[in-house]
Amino acid sequence: MWKKEDVKSQPIRENASGISSSSPAPASTPVREPGAAHSVSSTSSASISQGIRIKGEVTGSEDLFVDGHVEGKVNLSSGSLTVGPNGDVKADIFAREVVVRGRVDGKIVGREKIHLSSTGNVAGDLQTERLTIEDGAVLRGRVEIETGKPIDKRTEVRGAAAGTSKGGAVSVGAGSAAD
Amino acid sequence: MSFLNKFGIGPAAGATREAPRAMGSGRPRSNAPAPIAAVGAARAPEPGESTRVSNGLKEFLWNLDGLGRGTLLDLGPAWQTTLSFFIERGFRVSSEDLLRAWKEFLAEEDEKLREASGKAAQHTLDVAPAARAARFLEANLQYPNSSFDAVLLWDLLDYLEPMVAKQLVANLTELLRPGGVVFALFHSKKPEGFQRYRVVDPTTLQVIASPVLCPAQRVYQNREIQDLFSRYRTVKSFVGRDQLRESLFIK
Repeated sequence: MWKKEDVKSQPIRENASGISSSSPAPASTPVREPGAAHSVSSTSSASISQGIRIKGEVTGSEDLFVDGHVEGKVNLSSGSLTVGPNGDVKADIFAREVVVRGRVDGKIVGREKIHLSSTGNVAGDLQTERLTIEDGAVLRGRVEIETGKPIDKRTEVRGAAAGTSKGGAVSVGAGSAAD
Repeated sequence: MSFLNKFGIGPAAGATREAPRAMGSGRPRSNAPAPIAAVGAARAPEPGESTRVSNGLKEFLWNLDGLGRGTLLDLGPAWQTTLSFFIERGFRVSSEDLLRAWKEFLAEEDEKLREASGKAAQHTLDVAPAARAARFLEANLQYPNSSFDAVLLWDLLDYLEPMVAKQLVANLTELLRPGGVVFALFHSKKPEGFQRYRVVDPTTLQVIASPVLCPAQRVYQNREIQDLFSRYRTVKSFVGRDQLRESLFIK
């Protein structure tokens, strides 16, 4: 089970080279680096560090940084997800914005944007309004760009029915991972 | 179109010719990529990159003109510019870097062989070319039949084992809808380096020198290419000064 304490006890700062490292900074004062290449980084309010494995469903509405292993489903209705260089996600991902620097095996729905970094490796379909791909990124899957349209409303409806949609009682900050 | 351009040896970078029937919007041709949702910042060519006029690409687009919301399978690396180019024109694009997958497959096979060497004979791997080709294609290129209107095959066949190449073409034929088009490149002599390609505009390809993923396996002659694509009704070829033959196969 993924607990709030587990997540908040290991906030991660991103150094200049983009490699994540643990930081003793308190969780209540997350540090955001101005001018970072992408708005979503390891300085997000919640993180799953390298070495942590989660099997099940991760839901919430805040930003999340994953540098560990997640298997199942990730649903951040209004949050952003960054898969760090060591991250290995075997899950369908639904988020406002998704940045992939590690490995993802599953469908990615990034409502506003998906960014594949040069170290990113995705095996799965991409659905988004804006897609950026750095040279060196590996993609195996279908790309669907749907500008100005809501992305996969069925998913949100289904999420709401399950009590896990945006504004729901369970947030990433609070942490939830169901087996 | 000049005589030289017909054979892909006309002016390359910076050419200002208009594609006769550029697909899609019919906007004036520009060297800069159009600003669309999937496009990042335009980037200048870097060292090791060059451009070449591609009559094959032009013909490929001409054949897809008016298709509307077509489906395209790109078997090269996922380049932003290439994906954006086709997405902008209404295509649903699937990307699968088959050569990288082949390299990974070979590494996995080597590992399995090492493991099997210490086991009983019944556990050994069948390394016959046909068996290897079957194993590779079972793990890759898994799409329903008649899924695509177009395939960007690039120069993949030159780098695959002949049996894999043959089986791959057979599989692609099943994946293509009737009237579907395959765009392929063949080296007329064994390539010295390794390069990959991306679409710059309707008549230009960018050639990018890259670290060798796999060594070239063979140089296909005209007759062999025709045999490989014998189930296709039309074959068109454009030979460039750079020893690269662009071929178009229409199912």
